[in-house]
Amino acid sequence: MSESRPDSTPDSTPISTSAGGGVAARCMGRFSSSFLARFAANPAGKLALLLLALTLLTAFAGPFLAPQDPYDPAALDILDARLPPGSAAAAGGTYLLGSDEQGRDLLSAMVYGLRLSLVVAGAGTGLACLLGAALGLTAGYFGGRWERLVLALADLQLSFPALLIALALLALSGPGLFKVALALAASQWAYFARSARAAALVESGKDYMAAARLQGLSHARLLWRHLLPNCLPPLLVILPLQLAAAISLEATLSFLGLGAPATEPSLGRLIANGFAYLLSGQYWISLYPGLLLTLAVTAITLAADRLAAVLDPRRQED
Amino acid sequence: MARRLLLSFLLPLLLLASPSLRAAGLSVGLAADVSSLDPHYLNAAPNIAVASHFFETLVAVDKDGQLVPGLAQSWQAVNPTTWEFKLRPGVKFHDGSPLTAEDVVFSLERPASLTQSPGPFTGFTRAISGKKVVDAHTLRLTTAQPYGPLPLDLASIFIVSKKAAAKAGTEDFNSGKALVGTGPFRLLKFRRGEAVELARFDGYWGEKPAWDTLTLRILPADAARLAALLAGQVDMIEGVPGADVARLKKDARLSANFRLEQRVSWRTLFLQLDLFRDASPFVTDLAGKPLAKNPLKDLKVRQALSRSINREALAARTLDGLGVPASRLVAPGIPGHGQQPAAEPYDPEGAKRLLAEAGYPQGFALTLHGPNNRYLNDEQILQTLAQFFGRIGVKTKVETLPLAAYFGRLRHADFSAALLGWGSLSGDFALRTLLGTPDEKSGWGAWNWGRFSDARVDADIRSALASTDPARRSRAAETAMDQAMQQLPVIPLHHQVATWALRAGLTYPARIDEFTFAAQVRPR
Repeated sequence: MSESRPDSTPDSTPISTSAGGGVAARCMGRFSSSFLARFAANPAGKLALLLLALTLLTAFAGPFLAPQDPYDPAALDILDARLPPGSAAAAGGTYLLGSDEQGRDLLSAMVYGLRLSLVVAGAGTGLACLLGAALGLTAGYFGGRWERLVLALADLQLSFPALLIALALLALSGPGLFKVALALAASQWAYFARSARAAALVESGKDYMAAARLQGLSHARLLWRHLLPNCLPPLLVILPLQLAAAISLEATLSFLGLGAPATEPSLGRLIANGFAYLLSGQYWISLYPGLLLTLAVTAITLAADRLAAVLDPRRQED
Repeated sequence: MARRLLLSFLLPLLLLASPSLRAAGLSVGLAADVSSLDPHYLNAAPNIAVASHFFETLVAVDKDGQLVPGLAQSWQAVNPTTWEFKLRPGVKFHDGSPLTAEDVVFSLERPASLTQSPGPFTGFTRAISGKKVVDAHTLRLTTAQPYGPLPLDLASIFIVSKKAAAKAGTEDFNSGKALVGTGPFRLLKFRRGEAVELARFDGYWGEKPAWDTLTLRILPADAARLAALLAGQVDMIEGVPGADVARLKKDARLSANFRLEQRVSWRTLFLQLDLFRDASPFVTDLAGKPLAKNPLKDLKVRQALSRSINREALAARTLDGLGVPASRLVAPGIPGHGQQPAAEPYDPEGAKRLLAEAGYPQGFALTLHGPNNRYLNDEQILQTLAQFFGRIGVKTKVETLPLAAYFGRLRHADFSAALLGWGSLSGDFALRTLLGTPDEKSGWGAWNWGRFSDARVDADIRSALASTDPARRSRAAETAMDQAMQQLPVIPLHHQVATWALRAGLTYPARIDEFTFAAQVRPR
């Protein structure tokens, strides 16, 4: 309430002063045209956009262009195992980035692996966001015992390293992509829950909420139509940051052999596959997937940072 | 003055250079952790390897897997069901007391008293029905039925001191209180999960170790173990990974400072197949729907799978050369393997024809299961098999689990096709456990999860086991092996090659059983 100063221009504090679904509508409007322009307004934004586009294109168009289906064991040839970059394949064609220890074309495996990493991490983070937002919003809105419970659970989760939680869950449930996504969600939901609760606390006290309440609207409608849209920006800012963290976490789990199955390697698994050969000079099996992983995480982190700048009125540079 | 100065510099150098004057300690990097120092607690290779430094058995096994006198100087079957063991005179325990037949009787009875053991040694004492102490150094053991491999069984039971262990529990061994054996080393300190520190036992009856002290360091991570060797933190390591074997051989600087000891080990890897269910849980048609019958029950399908495997490529590429193609369940040189058994042919075209003849011209879908931390490159082996099977139309998925979870499910026969490795010093032993008709009471088929059952094979195994003449036992085991493998109840893959890497100045007689016995490491 203290934030809705009468002297501030509507544009510089759009989130805190507008009522109802206005912000959401305005957000959507921005997305259509001016949002991208503002996102790419400075060099960092341009770079972030370029890297992000490159990563997404590689992950989702790449598999259609890849020379080999690395997930079909019958398409591989063990006699082509661990060939250096540029080697000719027995079946014709070239291993541009070399082959791994099963004779997989590394380029194809990386492109498929990136898609797998993104999809699993995306699913996990999305799930964490949904869960965290639902718990956090209701906690901030209803308060009381429910709030204390949610906060206690969130503190409990945050007091353990994310990797430890994911490892423990996977050790209990066994490996599998779906379970990895669940483990990622379980080790990340608290970040969303705390942000959502903080935002909900601030928003709940504002006049538009009081007005909506006075109209006798149901809790569900208040939460869904009034509170949620105004609590979205902070969630949108941490979403890509958590996505980048989830990609790293998935790679770590796969590296440890708990993520993607051996026959469908994600980036982390590819790095692990080459790890044993790193010291014997066959560097490419680990190096290239490692570089791609770095690119993906960097791209998303940069984009997240830029998104935060664009969405945060106090950080607007123009 | 100048000469004296020079001498004072040179003398310590000379002392350092001469190995006999140096306080000789040996440090060895082991690949697996020892869970207990109690030699009767868990029948698992890592525990046995460590226990062998403190304790000895009546019958010892030499590096080639042959039985040689250990604490028993000699043994013979006085009649088909009675064996007489003569103990070696003058053997002393670490506490100075002499070894007697009473200690042996106590040690043979102790495994059965450890009811909490997760992997008991009782299988090796089950055949013994009576024990009679004739005098302090003579012992007679009787069996209910004629039982030839009794000496082989006794090669697995460590002899402990009755005085020290009579009232002791497993924890007293870990603390060192009850850890009183006759072996070449005694315990200094057990740092769980890190290292076992030992000192030479000067009263040892046999050839004394060349080392005053010995440190067995637990280094399960392959890269860390090798790094410790290269950095000079340990003098020797076991279980050198394939990629590094090539590097140690190729790199001139490394090959000048380190040497390798290699040999084909007793461990044979194979695929166990579900032969008892009509609908096997992990076999479906290509669309993922259940099949009318279990194709693995059909010999032609099993032959097709076996012939689709390029074992040479598997050994050379997937195992980096640390494997030898197998067609038998025991390693070459082990009784029951035979001189030159027919090799499994690599014939993918023939395999496709066989599949078509069996009624699966389009193939089917199969999931292979295996551990991911037990055998050399186990997960990679399964993936390569998926390639081979895929090429003849058997669409294959791979699922791997950590060892503990894997064996748990294997025990419930949860899988359709599963990777297993087995090391045995005798063909009839391996067959009894792996392919004998399962029977809980007799312990037959304890690892026969595919539930293969063949009366003729059983009879052949039985006659091999009953024979107290080693040559006849070996022939009978060979016949049983031939009989069994013609039906391919399991698909043999390869015999594992064991590798040790040592400082250039050391030698180690590479053992067929893959064990690292530091007492046998000597300076060159």
